[in-house]
Amino acid sequence: MTKLKIELMVNRKKRKIEITPSTRLIDLLRDDLQLTGTKEGCGKGECGACTVIMNGELVASCLVLAPQADGAVITTIEGLGSSDHLDPIQEAFIESGAVQCGFCTPGMILAARRLLEENPHPDEEEIKRGISGNLCRCTGYQKIIEAIKLSIARLSKSDSGKAK
Amino acid sequence: MSEKYIGKDILKVDVQDKVTGKALYPDDIYFKDMLYLKIKRATYPHAYLRKLDLSKAEKLPGVVRIISAADIPQVKNFGLMIKDQPVLVGIGQKMRYMGDALAIVIAESKEVASKAVKLIEVEVEKLEVISDPLRAMDKNAPLIHQDGNILATHYLEKGDIKMGFAEADLIVEKEYRTSFLDHVPLQVEAGVGIYDKKSGVITLWVATQWLHDTQADIAQSLGLSKEKIRIIQPVIGGAFGKKEDISVHIHLALAAIETKRPVKLIYSREESMIAQSKRHPFIIRAKTGATKEGYLTAWQAFVIGDTGAYASSGPAVVHKGMYHCTGPYNVANVKGVAYTVYTNNTYAGAMRGFGTTQMAFAYESQMDILAHQLGINPAQFRLQNAYEIGSSTPNGQILTHSVGVKETIKEALNMAGWKGEAQ
Ligand code: FES
Ligand code: FES
Repeated sequence: MTKLKIELMVNRKKRKIEITPSTRLIDLLRDDLQLTGTKEGCGKGECGACTVIMNGELVASCLVLAPQADGAVITTIEGLGSSDHLDPIQEAFIESGAVQCGFCTPGMILAARRLLEENPHPDEEEIKRGISGNLCRCTGYQKIIEAIKLSIARLSKSDSGKAK
Repeated sequence: MSEKYIGKDILKVDVQDKVTGKALYPDDIYFKDMLYLKIKRATYPHAYLRKLDLSKAEKLPGVVRIISAADIPQVKNFGLMIKDQPVLVGIGQKMRYMGDALAIVIAESKEVASKAVKLIEVEVEKLEVISDPLRAMDKNAPLIHQDGNILATHYLEKGDIKMGFAEADLIVEKEYRTSFLDHVPLQVEAGVGIYDKKSGVITLWVATQWLHDTQADIAQSLGLSKEKIRIIQPVIGGAFGKKEDISVHIHLALAAIETKRPVKLIYSREESMIAQSKRHPFIIRAKTGATKEGYLTAWQAFVIGDTGAYASSGPAVVHKGMYHCTGPYNVANVKGVAYTVYTNNTYAGAMRGFGTTQMAFAYESQMDILAHQLGINPAQFRLQNAYEIGSSTPNGQILTHSVGVKETIKEALNMAGWKGEAQ
């Protein structure tokens, strides 16, 4: 099969990579770059488990062909914070009990991140709209919404919701 | 201990890994030299398999091996309660629903495995497809399994049902139907397997809700001792009952033994919908009697649970549902019968509530209809019939502690600010 060479920034690191034209962005991230925090729940753009931030926008990485990501800047959950230095949103998810099985969590946190970058003080309706592309089958959403509210307070204290 | 933990916020042990994306779910486990599996599934819901032509698929570059039933004559059926599920359907054998497995394709990549599955040619001899449990119960219906389409019948009797209806001023009799429901855990079925030639041990990284039962079932199916099956439970992306049944497990084990290489199998969401368990659709006929003062006197329940092509936990789910036919309400005279019935639908198994959620639709509807016809406030009607300490359930259990239904109803009314409909 023909291979294509693409170049992209993933979590602030430059990556050059050879892929087949039909490789999806999610496969590139998981299989080639071992960034398995990006999850596949449906492969159809329905669940949001595969959410990443690409060029400042939320995308379902199962619907993006890897060649389309040539030259793109991408943030995955691994680019947000680490165990010894958690992002305020990650902390808020832990403290609010917003994590059960955790399979939706990476996508949910990135959706929250994107929302708060665009609108640092969303009301409840805006929060709900901000995570409307992300399904959670465990929590019933209430604690996720609480976690995002807690993040708003934390972020406005620390860095006014600036992107890292 | 209690002072240290109860009433305190305790962090989940793996929560840091979950928020940073480090937690490893089955699909996140990779090995060098790993092969990918894809399952060829049934092409018709009820049919004899007459021909399985693997030749085109085997020729596709990147295909390592294709396993069909002919390769594994020693392998036995599996199943949670009854061993009625074949690992692979062989020539001359029956496929009973669209999820039955016909062949395991093993390839160097996911893409090749998916392509190869489409190149497998199947010929079948079609049989009548039974999608309605009432048809399955007909005397002249074709048999899905040898021993008959009614897999289990359970009875329930408390008090004197005739007397109970004689005491009633009002009797309401209705039929209710519930539908199939998928649990949709956010992660589909997935796993990785490795076979160690020296020790003969198969290690599987795969989700299960019944670690030891799953281990025993895999072992009996493969004809190995339990010590040869090691299951490592990774982080699970939701289950809700759906991961009680075997899915990728035995196919992974067979492919690992066959290739001596690490193997991975991930279902697509569609495959998970088609092949893996569902909530049982119920047909419930409820006949309920009450006095004009609004006290229940008799409750009769006739329940059919469609367990689909295989038993799974069906007999337990359906008869447990029947035991809850009156809901949390006192009834002195109860009679019930429950049938667990095979059809050619996707098999049904455990799901949150284990049969009781379906029944709730019927009994709460009955309560509303009765209250309405008696001209009594439906909340009051429920309160005056609700369980309390000392109540006995339809199967005769005396409730001795933790009966919160009355408080729950009152608190719900309070929170909803509901004042009643016909006051
Ligand atoms: S996996 Fe991409 S939206 Fe569900
Ligand atoms: S925590 Fe399980 S899907 Fe959201």
